Amino acid sequence: MNGPALERVFRSASGRIIAVLAARFRDLALAEDAFSESCLRAARVWPARGVPDDPAAWLYRVAQRIVLDSMRRDRKHDGSATEEISSDPGPEEIMMDDARVVPDERLRLIFICCHPSVAIEARAALTLRLVCGLSVTEIARAFLIQEATLAQRLLRAKRKIADAGVPFELPAPDSWPERLDAVLSTLEIAYAKAHEDAAGSGPHAGFASEVLHLTKLLAHLVPNDGAVAALAAQVRYAEARRPARVSAEGWIIPLSEQDPKLWRRDLIEEANRLLADAIRMSPSDHRTLQGQLQQVWCSRQSLQDAAPWPEVLRLYDRLLLTRDDPIVRINRAVALAEIEGADAALVELSHLDTSALEQFLPYHAVRADLLARSGRRAEAADAYARALALDPPAAERQWLERKAAGL
Amino acid sequence: MKYGLFIYENEAFYGAEKAGPKIEELVGKHMQFAQRLGAKRIGGAGLKSTAVATTVRTAANRKTVHDGPFAEAREQLGGFYLIDVADLDEAIEIAKQIPVLQDGAIEIRPLLGQ
Repeated sequence: MNGPALERVFRSASGRIIAVLAARFRDLALAEDAFSESCLRAARVWPARGVPDDPAAWLYRVAQRIVLDSMRRDRKHDGSATEEISSDPGPEEIMMDDARVVPDERLRLIFICCHPSVAIEARAALTLRLVCGLSVTEIARAFLIQEATLAQRLLRAKRKIADAGVPFELPAPDSWPERLDAVLSTLEIAYAKAHEDAAGSGPHAGFASEVLHLTKLLAHLVPNDGAVAALAAQVRYAEARRPARVSAEGWIIPLSEQDPKLWRRDLIEEANRLLADAIRMSPSDHRTLQGQLQQVWCSRQSLQDAAPWPEVLRLYDRLLLTRDDPIVRINRAVALAEIEGADAALVELSHLDTSALEQFLPYHAVRADLLARSGRRAEAADAYARALALDPPAAERQWLERKAAGL
Repeated sequence: MKYGLFIYENEAFYGAEKAGPKIEELVGKHMQFAQRLGAKRIGGAGLKSTAVATTVRTAANRKTVHDGPFAEAREQLGGFYLIDVADLDEAIEIAKQIPVLQDGAIEIRPLLGQ
């Protein structure tokens, strides 16, 4: 087995093994270090002796021995070797030896990483690191921050979890909605990062597939929550459109102009199934409504079908009842412009608190387009300039530049 | 694990003397709450207003005494509980049940040395 193949094995085993180690020893840093060490040993041993039948079980057993050895050393070191740590197999190991499977504790790990007491900007990074096994380098690139900054952030988050007494148990049933919401918001942030890069050629390439994987895992681990299914559906609809999001010339193509024939039908069908579950379980949840918005677009078969603007506007009106924020209002304005005209949409935008939206690229981009359609060319040019000043990704930049040039 | 739960509220809600029917009602709620906590409560107190606070500052090894709280802020420490519970989630659950007069915040801090 060569280097990249080993990497793949390590990565796919990472979440499960770190989760079981963390659940057993109640220490994230210890679990992470022991797993890294077991991967190093595998990289030394496997090429010569061959890959074991169940690589994950091998990695888990070695990682566990590393933890137990280090705990024994610590006891000896501080002279308090009173209680011998049992190396008898725990329930996890027995289960593993019988079934040759590492038990799935990943949900626990996700809840720990996404605990509301962990800084919100650290949650997604910690989840990607521990549950998905992404490297610090990869995550730093995806979040466009320095590696050292990210490493520091991860360290702080792990220390907070240990020192503040974040539980390693699954939360009590009555706090599930709140806790699950923190998990879903974390995944939304992670996916938004991946989605920003329309071409998928930037540093986020491959990152979106991790979020697809995580949301599917979560829907599998928490089968009776509508919001979880809705988010898994949303991510799939959005990802299904990736092949159509960028033109041959390299600029971004708006949703209404994308060729539906290029969309990935397999992902859309998977999303339809998940969304049907979500509608059954939580019909008025904002994530369900956002999933339905995506579905309305993804039901389009070709550019000859009428764009579903009336349905889109109706869904945004419903969404406003549960989630009234500037992002929903901006998106609703886009639909409103198609039905009542650009002027009506501009009036809607004028009600928003602009000071909070100064740094928000979609606000300027949408406003620029509406102003151009109203014939207010000078104002439109100014709005395009503001959007471009916010340093959009390449595909979006080219599109904005083209629109601005066409004024 | 042992935690301190620090109650921050806008002192304007308490009134100048931190007395009167509203405060009596609040104190009653705290007493009921402390009773419900039972052995999980290992300490705590309500504090008189920052109008009667005195601060001892140390700067360059020199101690000076000042009138008032250590920092002027809209929300001030009004009281605290010390609790001994299983984990942060239990501490959060308890913090959510602490009676507050109006708007406020409860800061949860693990105690050192555990």
